Amino acid sequence: MTDAPTGERAGWGPVSRVDHVVESQNRRTAWRPLAGAALLERIRETGRPRPATDPAFTADLRALLESGLAELSADAVSADNGRLAVSKDRLTRALSCPVHRTVDRFGERAITLPLACGALVDVLFRQIVTIGTIGDPMTEALDGLTMDGHQAPLLTWIAELAPAELAELRAEVDRQAEGLAERWPVLDASWLPRTQEPLRAVLACGRVELSARVDLALGRRGEDEASVAIVDVKSGVRRPGHRDDLRFYALVEALCSPAPPFAVATYYSRTGELDVETVTPELLLEASRRCLAGTRALAGATPESDDGVWCTPCATLPRRAVRSAIATDEAPGAGDLAVIDLLHGQAA
Amino acid sequence: MNARSRAATAGLLAPPTFELDHPTVVRVRVQLESGIADAIVGLAPGEAIEVGLPLLRRARYQPELLGLADEPFAWKPAFVRRSLGLEVVRACAQRRFRGPADAVGPVADQAIEEWRRTGWRTVHWEPWLAELGQGARSVVLAEAVAWATPVWAAFDWPALLATAELGGPDNRWTGPKGGTVHLKGRVEARVRPDRGRSSLVSVASGRPGDGWRDELAYLALVAALGAEDLPVVSRVVGLWPECGYRLVVEIDEAALTGAVDRVVDTVAAMTDVRNSAPAAEVA
Repeated sequence: MTDAPTGERAGWGPVSRVDHVVESQNRRTAWRPLAGAALLERIRETGRPRPATDPAFTADLRALLESGLAELSADAVSADNGRLAVSKDRLTRALSCPVHRTVDRFGERAITLPLACGALVDVLFRQIVTIGTIGDPMTEALDGLTMDGHQAPLLTWIAELAPAELAELRAEVDRQAEGLAERWPVLDASWLPRTQEPLRAVLACGRVELSARVDLALGRRGEDEASVAIVDVKSGVRRPGHRDDLRFYALVEALCSPAPPFAVATYYSRTGELDVETVTPELLLEASRRCLAGTRALAGATPESDDGVWCTPCATLPRRAVRSAIATDEAPGAGDLAVIDLLHGQAA
Repeated sequence: MNARSRAATAGLLAPPTFELDHPTVVRVRVQLESGIADAIVGLAPGEAIEVGLPLLRRARYQPELLGLADEPFAWKPAFVRRSLGLEVVRACAQRRFRGPADAVGPVADQAIEEWRRTGWRTVHWEPWLAELGQGARSVVLAEAVAWATPVWAAFDWPALLATAELGGPDNRWTGPKGGTVHLKGRVEARVRPDRGRSSLVSVASGRPGDGWRDELAYLALVAALGAEDLPVVSRVVGLWPECGYRLVVEIDEAALTGAVDRVVDTVAAMTDVRNSAPAAEVA
């Protein structure tokens, strides 16, 4: 279920251009972002009954993963203190075909304006959920970032921005903060809203650990039926791979809770789009197969990642766009990856 | 409150599985003292080792970090979330709020107000939190909510309110030989049913390692040694919210002995590190 403006997506360029594109889309389609109770209702009411807890199915999911990981050698998974840590980003990189791994630069964390904007908006989203207000967005987001020692390089980078770039960043952060404040209602405390919730699922006798940190989780972990919803916040443009991220969150939550979440959603703070996906057994099975393939690739057990079967951009983007990015010295055909429409149901 | 948390609550209040008498505790203490005496051979006079759960875990899972100096202390959200989170759970158990998200702001404000009024720092972080800007403060509150929420959801705290102590001072025991070795046991809750033996609740981040039984039993060991006149803890419940684990150790002599062995191993490892440190500094 998607709540989104139609039309071509724009990249995060100069603020004025982004504003223009979004506004022109809105004018053309009369689309307005959901806000307040309607936004929450879209997350809570998926159009399907919330699934009952099914321990046997969860056991099957775990067995699928365990059986596929059983043959991994201890050496293969001993990279990080004796365990292989699997996150959404590492999975995506491991499963990207060589071309998209290069084009999209997954895993490289060079600081850019969009990345800085994302970190600042994450802080502001957390603030909105926790205290319900934002004063001066840039000041408070930077203030919040100082609480995380790992963000020191980012803070330094922002402090050294040229005035024009800083103004651009500030304008975008202000704009997105305004949207958050306007659209996100106060969350009822009885729904147990919590931010930046860490999740871990342990596999292969502790040698593999699936880990995630979700921006917002709502609902008490259920006994009889699924009652948790997970929301991921993105400050940039919409990408097909974001649904893979959501499904990975759903899988990890399913493995470490009595019940899976009933819904996972991406909230795009730049536009106010809300992309909600109902969690079904099929979704979890698909997520576990993808996770298994990626984990095996990370452990060096299989070269599956090289055939592009699980590469989301290959499955969803036009072939020509991919080929245009291939280095000119590559052999003809090396990046000639066939487009398989909606492969694995991955199209957003 | 769902069936799972009700069952977990009933488990905390259940009668002890094993009987433990005072002579057993004395036997365990003698074994610990003997093991420590062997483990600290070569330790420089005046050196002291303080053992707690973090050190036990580091010695087993990341021994290469034992020799590293601790960072100078500076307040950060991770140091506040437990104590603020416990206050939040207490306020919710008293039914003053509907959940941690409602409670965290007023509870923090109340602590700061109390400090300003009396100068007494109940939870120590009041002056630091009071000086933070709104952005940083909201991060601290959010961390406390994230910590408190799974703890709040794990048990029927309102039903436990009359018998549970949330937080409270650490249990401590100082060994012989001039107090070379100190044990510290920090628990998140002590639940003491009427005329019954206590259950302890411990909350940890990450996931349990293969020595989790000894680690939980260690908390019972320190509680027993620190107050030998009180009944021994009947069980220790460990929560690892990130991976959804709730693990229980029923305390018997074997559990306490396992904890003794872990302490002795840890003290021996620390002694080795201390003894090798001067050579490394010279090099």
